[in-house]
Amino acid sequence: MKNSAFGHFWRRYHIGTFLLLIPGAALMIFPFFWMALSAFKTSADVYQYPPKWLPSSFKWDNFAAVFSTIPFLRFYLNSIITSVVQTFLIIMISIMGGFALTKLDFPGRSKIYTFMESSMYVPEVVTMIPLFLLVSSVGLVDSYAGIILPQLSSAFTTILLMSFFSSIPNDLLDAAKIDGCGYYAILFKIVVPNSRTAISTAALFSFLGAWRSYMWPLIVTNSVQLRTLPIGLKYLVQETSSEYQVMMAASLMAIVPILIVYILAEKEFVQSITLTGLKS
Amino acid sequence: MRKGTVRIFAALIALALAAAPLAAAPKVKLTVWYGVSGASGEAFKALLDKYSTANPNVEITASYSGNYSDTATKVSAALVSNTAPDVALMAAGPLYTGGNGDFYMESKVNESSFKKSDIFPGVWEYTKFNGRICAVPYGISTPILYYNKDLVEKAGVNMAKSAPKTWNDLYKLAKLVQDKNNAAGASISGFDVTDVGWLFKTMLNQNGNNVINVKKGAVSPAFNDAKGLEVATFWKRMIDDKVMAVGQHSNAEKAFLSGNVAFLVATSARIAKWSKSATIPVSAVAMPYFKKPSVALGGNVLVILGKDKATKDAAWDLVKFLASTENQTDFALKTGYLPIRKSGVARPEVKQIMKDNPMYAVAFNQLGIAWSYWHFEQMGTMDSILWEMIDNIERGTMTPKDALDKAAKDLQNEIDS
Repeated sequence: MKNSAFGHFWRRYHIGTFLLLIPGAALMIFPFFWMALSAFKTSADVYQYPPKWLPSSFKWDNFAAVFSTIPFLRFYLNSIITSVVQTFLIIMISIMGGFALTKLDFPGRSKIYTFMESSMYVPEVVTMIPLFLLVSSVGLVDSYAGIILPQLSSAFTTILLMSFFSSIPNDLLDAAKIDGCGYYAILFKIVVPNSRTAISTAALFSFLGAWRSYMWPLIVTNSVQLRTLPIGLKYLVQETSSEYQVMMAASLMAIVPILIVYILAEKEFVQSITLTGLKS
Repeated sequence: MRKGTVRIFAALIALALAAAPLAAAPKVKLTVWYGVSGASGEAFKALLDKYSTANPNVEITASYSGNYSDTATKVSAALVSNTAPDVALMAAGPLYTGGNGDFYMESKVNESSFKKSDIFPGVWEYTKFNGRICAVPYGISTPILYYNKDLVEKAGVNMAKSAPKTWNDLYKLAKLVQDKNNAAGASISGFDVTDVGWLFKTMLNQNGNNVINVKKGAVSPAFNDAKGLEVATFWKRMIDDKVMAVGQHSNAEKAFLSGNVAFLVATSARIAKWSKSATIPVSAVAMPYFKKPSVALGGNVLVILGKDKATKDAAWDLVKFLASTENQTDFALKTGYLPIRKSGVARPEVKQIMKDNPMYAVAFNQLGIAWSYWHFEQMGTMDSILWEMIDNIERGTMTPKDALDKAAKDLQNEIDS
């Protein structure tokens, strides 16, 4: 097979690779495909067995039902506000923290890094009650600040950025110092522009985490006006009945911002994955 | 204007300003969390609004706190930080009142205006911690035996004459309906259940087993005795004879509604929806039993979590209003939960609904045989242990006796830890 025409054809067009990747891609895409189709189905279509692949008719009734059942636009707005602000603040803090831990020399630097890294191994549920005690003692329960501020600490994004910052030559920073740049100028005029791919990737992960966050916003908010989209989607799961087709319509609308953010950051995201395999 | 007149006016104004706070009665503020959404949430909110309208000196701040488990998480966090609501509609409420030594409601429900004896006796067991009342029952449901009318008719069965009384009767009937429909080209199961733990506990009590023993406040598992083994062995028989599918219970409701299951045990809370918009013709019959008729209770209760006496008393006034015959029955009819009061079931509109829809008659008539064990700290863990035990029995990885003994040991370890 190695030297035959078939073998040549097989290698040239990467047939084996595609035979492996296409079913894998189909498996990954299928849930989204099913969700999109189910958003247009009737209740009878959803419960049919064997499963009905296509809706009986493509109608928008389920989407209308979402808006009439829950204050969907309010939840959407709250999610956008909290996710955007949270992502911006996480990136700012992670950039500054990552720069300090990578490029500055100060006592206790390695201990701080170890302490920060070990925080990643603590499950979120363990810190929820002490965090809530802290937030309620400063009067931030039931506020945007109460949702955003406790979620700003992200060891993952800091460590992700550190791995890229460490590849920036120190000579470049020394040259900037000689030219009279202070630390902030070095950070924002040299380090950040050279780390756009890493920052875009970190922003994508942060936004995804913030957008999907359910438990903390549920615990810290009491009023419906402040609830976010993941909590709003749960409103559609009722004790006495669940309209799965309406939930699918709501879920389809809920993933639109994630798709937009990913499309905007896709180039940098793919580039950053490629660069992690290369030596500096 | 004369000086004297000015002085008089000034004095009158000063008097008016001083008296103004006294003239307006201070508003009582109550925070209410409710762990029900959709139609149930809307109905509960409407009752809170009705109370506010009738009591303008009470200001209620109400919010949906998520589903049962999310509400429990929120209440746990709030109790620790002293930000708990004053009233909560939630499942396992007694764990957060009686479990914290708060039995305020125990004396309040004995007030003559509350009419404690009007609530079905078995329903009160659902509100107890260590044998003492510490909640008021509210959104209550029981398991119901539903059936697909089409499948039963195709098997030539007349349910009016052949309704199963015992679980053996149900086994034979489900097998008959399954075999006859499958012989005609269908592919159905005779029986399934959505909440296996709930049904298993119902069966245990029907067979004379109370699931747990409580001696001087100490809880221990009781489900692994000979009576429990009879129930587990019957369950395995349903699986081995392929009357019930293995491990498909999370899909049981969907399978039933798509016409692939003949008999289904599910919550009575489904009656309202399935009466209007089920994809198959659905009806219901009384729950079969082993030695005595009995159904385990589920649902939510009202608890008072406020701390000071004035707030508790104001909260109690709200709870009394919500649990009155008129309001609780209204809530039940709008949501699919059950009326908890005998006077509620006797109301003309309820009698009419029972006449118009036999499924409601089945559900409401079961209230007289409703039962519950007292709440205890590890009851949530017990449900998980029972699910795992039943899964082991169904998949044949353990014999019924071994599975029961292991589950009892796991629960005891949890209680002791």
